[in-house]
Amino acid sequence: MAKKSFLFIVLMLLTLSIAHAQDKEPQYAGVDKDLTGVTLRMATIGGQPYEAMYDSIKVFEEKTNAKVEIVFLGDGFEIDRYLKTNYAAGTVDFDVAWNHTSFMAQYTDFVEPLNSYFTPEELAVFSPAIIQAATIDGNLQLIPRHADISSLHYRLDLFNDADLQAQFKAKYGYDLLPPTTLKQMYDMAEFFVASGKIRYGTQFAGKEEALNGRFYEMLLANGGNYFDDDLNPIFNSEAGKMTAQWMQDLYKNKLIPADTTNLLWPEVAQNFCNGDVALYLEWPGWYSFFQDKTKCPAIAGNFGLARGPVGAEGTIHTGWAGAHAFSVTKASQNKEAAVQLVKFLTSEAVAYDEAKLGLLPVRSDVWTRIIADANASAVPLDKERLELAQIQIAEDFRAVPSFKDWITFGNEWFPQLQSIILGDVSVDDGLAKATDSIKTLMADLGY
Amino acid sequence: MIQSNALKTQAAPTKQDIAANRFAQQGRWFPWFMLAPSLIIIAFVVLYPMLYSVYISLTPFNLLRPETAAFDITKIFRNYERLLDDDVFWKSVINTVLFLTITVNLEYVLALILSQLIARVTWGQSVIRTLLMVPMMFAPVLVGFQFAWFFNATVGLVNNALMTLGLMAESKAWLVDQPSGMIALMIASIWMNVPVMTIILLAGTLSLPAEVYESAEVDGAGWWVQFRHITLPLLQPFVLIALTIRSLDVGRAYDIVRIMTNGGPANRTQVIWTYAGEMAIRNSRFGLASAMSMVGVVLGVAFTLYLFWQLIRSRIVH
Repeated sequence: MAKKSFLFIVLMLLTLSIAHAQDKEPQYAGVDKDLTGVTLRMATIGGQPYEAMYDSIKVFEEKTNAKVEIVFLGDGFEIDRYLKTNYAAGTVDFDVAWNHTSFMAQYTDFVEPLNSYFTPEELAVFSPAIIQAATIDGNLQLIPRHADISSLHYRLDLFNDADLQAQFKAKYGYDLLPPTTLKQMYDMAEFFVASGKIRYGTQFAGKEEALNGRFYEMLLANGGNYFDDDLNPIFNSEAGKMTAQWMQDLYKNKLIPADTTNLLWPEVAQNFCNGDVALYLEWPGWYSFFQDKTKCPAIAGNFGLARGPVGAEGTIHTGWAGAHAFSVTKASQNKEAAVQLVKFLTSEAVAYDEAKLGLLPVRSDVWTRIIADANASAVPLDKERLELAQIQIAEDFRAVPSFKDWITFGNEWFPQLQSIILGDVSVDDGLAKATDSIKTLMADLGY
Repeated sequence: MIQSNALKTQAAPTKQDIAANRFAQQGRWFPWFMLAPSLIIIAFVVLYPMLYSVYISLTPFNLLRPETAAFDITKIFRNYERLLDDDVFWKSVINTVLFLTITVNLEYVLALILSQLIARVTWGQSVIRTLLMVPMMFAPVLVGFQFAWFFNATVGLVNNALMTLGLMAESKAWLVDQPSGMIALMIASIWMNVPVMTIILLAGTLSLPAEVYESAEVDGAGWWVQFRHITLPLLQPFVLIALTIRSLDVGRAYDIVRIMTNGGPANRTQVIWTYAGEMAIRNSRFGLASAMSMVGVVLGVAFTLYLFWQLIRSRIVH
């Protein structure tokens, strides 16, 4: 329901906005108060493609006379560990912290509710579905920065090769087009590797929450789920076995990298950038990196995007999604100033700069701008990807289960899933053992 | 028995004797008095955290739920019960013992060879000793990153070298496969720490009395006989010190494992301290992590006592 509401609101706003194209420059927010003498400290996510935004902080400093120190930069898992450790030990010395819809349930006791710091007009520009999801027990936990939803990335040269098309049709009995099912995705990965034209048919990040999330979206697509309504693990189902078997077969048949279980986001993106992968599911934030001829000459202008495939259930597409965000810590000594920084970092101007890199915006005004830019672009994919993202956000948005110990559950689960993928245990035994250990874990955690 | 008259005629203690005796008795406490500040600090820094850790190991303490640090009699052994049933924990214990045994023994063999060779160098020995110490100057974290790159499946030096030389047809995921993952960790640890043991054994070798070797040469003993019957026995105390130091270091292995494999994949390279660290820092389950640490400490203490007993025996014999 929330997703349909979001689609309706987005489409309505877009229709109105495109019809009355905006002429004024994108606006900064949070720069109207003087913060001379104030130093704000921020712990946030680093790495490609997140750090480009932080260059804009000097604009905030110039306009407000504040000083901003970034006290920690790390990937999603490093920043999560850093935040959890400091929150729990009471050693928080930063004002603004990274947050994420997948991780926020852990931090609720340590972040300042933002409801009273934003007017309804200020919040209205953000995705209502994300704002609603970010409100726990009536407290707004975060302000979203950009959205992520995985889409299928595939090599145009391979799919457009006439010889390969004929061979594929002869062997598998259907056309070589971007896969619409997980079974087709497996067939194509197998075919491309056998053809000798590509190193890996597909890939996925094989550790940490990165692996859990991929498994989750495919589990949903196959008609399963991690937990029931009472948080009892139920992924030892036919859908779970099908999903685990799919991953195990990919590894066993060498269709994915041999070091898959060591890969995280930067490594899988680099593999695709190097031209080593035929098709896989990836976040939209890498778009400008992949289109950069100097960084990714093998694939710039040579890849397409498609909706995630459906699984055995038949109608549910994969679409692992979430939103990166910022929060203000309860320990902050200057919450008003910290909120100003958050307003700045999520303002139209900063969000627009980020959206131009490929990250999906969460503000309706920025959507308007990037769609107008895409309409004027000579690259068709610039427009197609936004149209695709709108459909996916509206219909395929699969956020991970929101409970406090999602990460703890994941840390217990992913090594066992790795054991299944690597063939250390069979799918049946691995899933049975995993669900038993998760039941014990959930009991220990008080569920 | 006739008592000696010397006893009957022994002089009565003088005032100086009494004062000296009192000072001597008070003087027994003087060293303790001087050590007291250090002992108090150590008690706070080591003893208190240790006792607190024991307490925490008896609670289901979760860092994100401070109320779980409260003592609950019904749950005091739950963490240890969990460990008994935890396959991953016992796997980490076995991995730790294997890692320690193989790494320390290989380090010893290599260090012994190097120390004997260096001891024979007459010109430039100090330069060689300095160069030998270069690996020791790297932080373990940097060594971890270095060897993680060496063994990387896609861009690693090892795969590139072996494939270029035609010794391998396709790249290998060294850090993923078994047992190459553990072997890669051992190689990194040995590379970094052989110099430590070499320095200790070299110091021991250079301190051995020359006369013994001269006598052996006069008696016609060759190099191997001298090494086997003179060098090795006399080096025993140094060997045991080196083995003790390195065993305790390797038994606490964390940095290199954390950086290179983080105990994975699938817990294949998990050792006690990376597993405890994961439980504490990543999962916030400090109670369970403390219980693991207690088991690790007990194993470490037992091992240390055994090594010191061997050391004392070797000193008595020699």
